[in-house]
Amino acid sequence: MELFNENSKLASVIHKDHSLLPVINRLGIKLGFGDQTIRNICEEKDIDINFFVEIINVFHYEAYFPEKRLLDFSVSMVIEYLIKTHQYYVNYLIPENDRLIELFLLANPEESNENELVRKFYANFKEEFVIHISYEEREMFPYVLELNEAIKNPSFREQFRQKHPGFSISGFEKEHSNMDDKLDDLKNIIIKYLPPNYDQNRGNAFLNNLFMFEKDMKNHSRIEDHILIPKVKQLEKVLLNHE
Amino acid sequence: MNNGQTKSIVLICKSDVILTGLTEVLKGSLADEIIQLHRGDEIIDYPEMTGNILVIATTEEIEKSGGFIRQILSDTGTIQFLNIYLEANSPHPNSSVNIFDSPALICYKVNEILNSFAVIQPRDTDTELTKREIEVLKLLTKGYSNKEIADQLFVSTHTVISHRKNISEKTGIKSASGMTMYAILKKIIDVSEIDTADLI
Repeated sequence: MELFNENSKLASVIHKDHSLLPVINRLGIKLGFGDQTIRNICEEKDIDINFFVEIINVFHYEAYFPEKRLLDFSVSMVIEYLIKTHQYYVNYLIPENDRLIELFLLANPEESNENELVRKFYANFKEEFVIHISYEEREMFPYVLELNEAIKNPSFREQFRQKHPGFSISGFEKEHSNMDDKLDDLKNIIIKYLPPNYDQNRGNAFLNNLFMFEKDMKNHSRIEDHILIPKVKQLEKVLLNHE
Repeated sequence: MNNGQTKSIVLICKSDVILTGLTEVLKGSLADEIIQLHRGDEIIDYPEMTGNILVIATTEEIEKSGGFIRQILSDTGTIQFLNIYLEANSPHPNSSVNIFDSPALICYKVNEILNSFAVIQPRDTDTELTKREIEVLKLLTKGYSNKEIADQLFVSTHTVISHRKNISEKTGIKSASGMTMYAILKKIIDVSEIDTADLI
């Protein structure tokens, strides 16, 4: 298994795995980076080099997940990354999905019943997804950031305790599996069970986007479930010991 | 072969050089097995052959031992004969091959015949829903709970759950609304039977 490191040229990283493009965008890098190495670029843009390298490696290799090292990163850095991921979904991937599914369904207007079903199924999935991420941003992430602040800044602790008397992240944890299932079902329905008279190219385009979405979402859930949550539990213990 | 319908070629020719050459050429064909014989009656050594068989031999050889070959291989699937001509420029019908034809053409003609063999599609029992599973699926799409389905079908909730698990495994669909979609697209239920507003 070949991992990327800080000496890797970012251009060759992208040549090897172009699905990393939105990931590097999220980390603050735009195209046009010439022959610079990851180290050069990160230094120039003031991005944490280790965080950058681990995030792209985790995304690139599903089997790679160095929990110990990932747990060293600050909570705020992880949350910032997760929020940027959400923004990418809301501002780009979902509207793109909307556009592609409509193109796909409109190519075959006579199947209106089936189209309506697919549309409805997708709409329900999307709604659930949007509710989930806005819940995280409204409730869970602020809690985590406040907890983090309370650890760093003793004068903030009293206020934090009043706001979150029985503080525990477990109350915020929400299952990702339900949405994963629905996304999977949507893919299977299109791949396996749609009648053959659909427009192939538009079907492929929509599916490609779904696959991309799925990969990104799985990675996102992995970072939340295995990095953010365990980290928060650590912080909660620390705060408990201060009592 | 997993589908139980193998495609074999029996090459009959007195010349080892031609047998070897044709075997080499036909390795690129759809045949699962190629048997080389010098004379048609040597088929007696292969009574256990099964599946569909294409016999490639000269016209004379086919006339001489075609009947015998059919007799020996009576338990197999389709048997077909393909004439092979051994002289350059000898006039030969389109439905035959000449050893002076290009290897690609020979392979193409052979494949055409092998493809024409009626393939008995194996019933994909692994993905087909049983009658009981279809009943469970229908009730699921109507929004019944596991308990309600169990009561209607006079089985335990545990059985219903195991049916659901099997349905998911066979179809690849996990969510209840996904199953409804599946049932409609597979025409197990009609779209008018469900309220799409409930499709959650």
